[in-house]
Amino acid sequence: METFTRSARVVLLIVLATLIGPASSLAEEASPRLTGFWITTPHPEFSLKPGDTGSIQLSFRNAHLPPQRLALDLEGLPEGWEAAFKGGGRQVSAVMVAPDETERLTLELKPPAGVSAGTFSVKINAKQHSQTITLPLSVKLSETASGKLTLEPELPALRGTARSTFSFRMKATNGGSDQALFNLSARTPEGFQAKFKRGYGSEEITGLPINAGSSENLTLEVAPSRTAAAGRYPISVRLSGGDKSAEAILSAEVTGEPQLRMVGPQERLSGDAVAGQESSFTFTLVNGGSAPATDVEMSASPPSGWSVAFEPKQIASIGPNETREVNVKIKPSERAVAGDYMVTLRSSGSGLSESAQFRTTVRTSTIWGAAGIGVIAAAVLVLGGAVMRYGRR
Amino acid sequence: MTAREGSPFRGVGVIALKEAADHLSSARMHLIMALVLLTAIGAVYAAIGRLRDTTAEDPYLFLKLFTVAREPLPSFAAFLGFLLPLVAIALGFDSINGEYHRRTMSRLLAQPIYRDAVLFGKFLGGLLVIAIALLTLWLLMIGLGILFLGLPPSVADIVRSLAYLGATLACAGVWLALAIAFSAAIRSPATSALAALSVWLILTIFWGMIAPLLAGMIAPVDPLDPFSVLKQFEVQQSIARLSPQTLYAEVTAVLLDPGARSVGPLFMSQLQGALYGAPLPTLESVLIVWPQFSALVAAMILLFTVAYVVFQRQEVRA
Repeated sequence: METFTRSARVVLLIVLATLIGPASSLAEEASPRLTGFWITTPHPEFSLKPGDTGSIQLSFRNAHLPPQRLALDLEGLPEGWEAAFKGGGRQVSAVMVAPDETERLTLELKPPAGVSAGTFSVKINAKQHSQTITLPLSVKLSETASGKLTLEPELPALRGTARSTFSFRMKATNGGSDQALFNLSARTPEGFQAKFKRGYGSEEITGLPINAGSSENLTLEVAPSRTAAAGRYPISVRLSGGDKSAEAILSAEVTGEPQLRMVGPQERLSGDAVAGQESSFTFTLVNGGSAPATDVEMSASPPSGWSVAFEPKQIASIGPNETREVNVKIKPSERAVAGDYMVTLRSSGSGLSESAQFRTTVRTSTIWGAAGIGVIAAAVLVLGGAVMRYGRR
Repeated sequence: MTAREGSPFRGVGVIALKEAADHLSSARMHLIMALVLLTAIGAVYAAIGRLRDTTAEDPYLFLKLFTVAREPLPSFAAFLGFLLPLVAIALGFDSINGEYHRRTMSRLLAQPIYRDAVLFGKFLGGLLVIAIALLTLWLLMIGLGILFLGLPPSVADIVRSLAYLGATLACAGVWLALAIAFSAAIRSPATSALAALSVWLILTIFWGMIAPLLAGMIAPVDPLDPFSVLKQFEVQQSIARLSPQTLYAEVTAVLLDPGARSVGPLFMSQLQGALYGAPLPTLESVLIVWPQFSALVAAMILLFTVAYVVFQRQEVRA
């Protein structure tokens, strides 16, 4: 019987242990509830420029406590500094936080100008009737305390022809504590056109507002002068506002390109031709570009039945500012009627093509005029014969 | 037959001037010129009104005076083409048989002139009268144009309208020669007038209907051969050109419209690349219608030759 009761106790203990075990482990896992009152700021140590106002964000957190009224106070503020708590747009000196709520205030600190550099400690005290909550801050004074204005080009050197537009994308960062409007200016070589645009926008801008601590993308579009010789051109961009400025040096490399022009005989694009007969016109090919035009080939699209021949048909190379004469032989169709026809002449090479519309005035052959006179002469001869035969009666 | 001496043309000038003077003072001429003048002024006035209403800018504004029409009046050129043969026929239908009729032919030939001179003089006199009338009309047109349009004609306008005047004279000459030929061949003036008028009616009004009929008979259209259409059109055009009125209409159309480039059918391939409406140089326009003009002059000379041969072979003593 005794053995039975002992064994029964053991079993009961085991059962109890299995029942109680999980319960005690549950109690150990739950974190302790945070209860209390805190003042926090994301940046407890920061720098300020003497004479500038710095804003410090403060958060007052009440966790699981009844509503608290806290009187605010600054301790250790050096002589001459200005400080104010701002909340809801007003100056405040006390804060009240509901349970499980957070109130946000701003502390504005202004060290007087002319204070030498150094580190100052300031304490924010929030007094309750029974206790005091403290947030120590460390303010470092330095002349360069405020953030810099930077201008960073994405691609500082671009390359293109004299006819292309160079788009420089840049990032302007206002590292300062205040929003400001910055003026944009670019110094370009003579004859170059510069345009500033914001981001991918299309409006031309001369100034750009940038929020404190943020950055803006801007685009500088530079159109080189059409007559720019091949070479590298520096462009300096300046962003300035207030007492800050930033500068970036860009470069645009203009590559040379040929530019063909067809000039007609005596600078005219019209001429006379007789139907069925070949007429010759001297055209001049002018390369007004900055690189030689190579493998220039002449072609034409005349009306059907016409033939257009070139002498020479192909030109190996025309240097910049050089001219070359091309003899164009146009033979209108036998059946062309009198009047004006358009003949398209084309010169292509080096990836460029230049065409000219040549207005050809077709004249009809005067052979029919002679034939008409022949008919009249024949009629006169018949009359003369009649006079000879029957005359003088 | 003994050979006669001297030039056969001696006395032509005298007869031509006398003939012209007779015509200019005759009631018949006055009546017909009054008709022509009235219609011409009406047509030009209507054309000016229309030009002022519609045409904003035209490099050949003066030529438009000849061709623009306003309902119900036809254009000046159309009027002239219709009435001028009538004037020529009126001047020539009794030039020879009228002399016989009045029994003045033997008296005329009693003068120391040859018969050649009589016929030449009568023809040239008639032509001179028509030329004077045409020049008057032309000056009237230019004057009215300057007065109402308020701008002077360009040189090209003047040259083109003078060439048109020449073609008109040649056309009138054809009808004058025809009328003189009838007057030489037919003894009665009324019959010769009727004969000339019926030829005029046929060639002016009915020829446009006869030509397609004849062309259809000569070159029937084969529905499977598109070129037979062209062939028939060409045959029709050739037949139509036997009438001096067709030739004259083609000359008028090309001379008075600088944009006209051809009188015959045109293929699309001929017009590829062509600039439509671009004015032709004046000389080119003249060259296009030069065959028509030559044909008119040659027809005039040949018809006159017929009249000459007929007259020379006639028995004058009656």
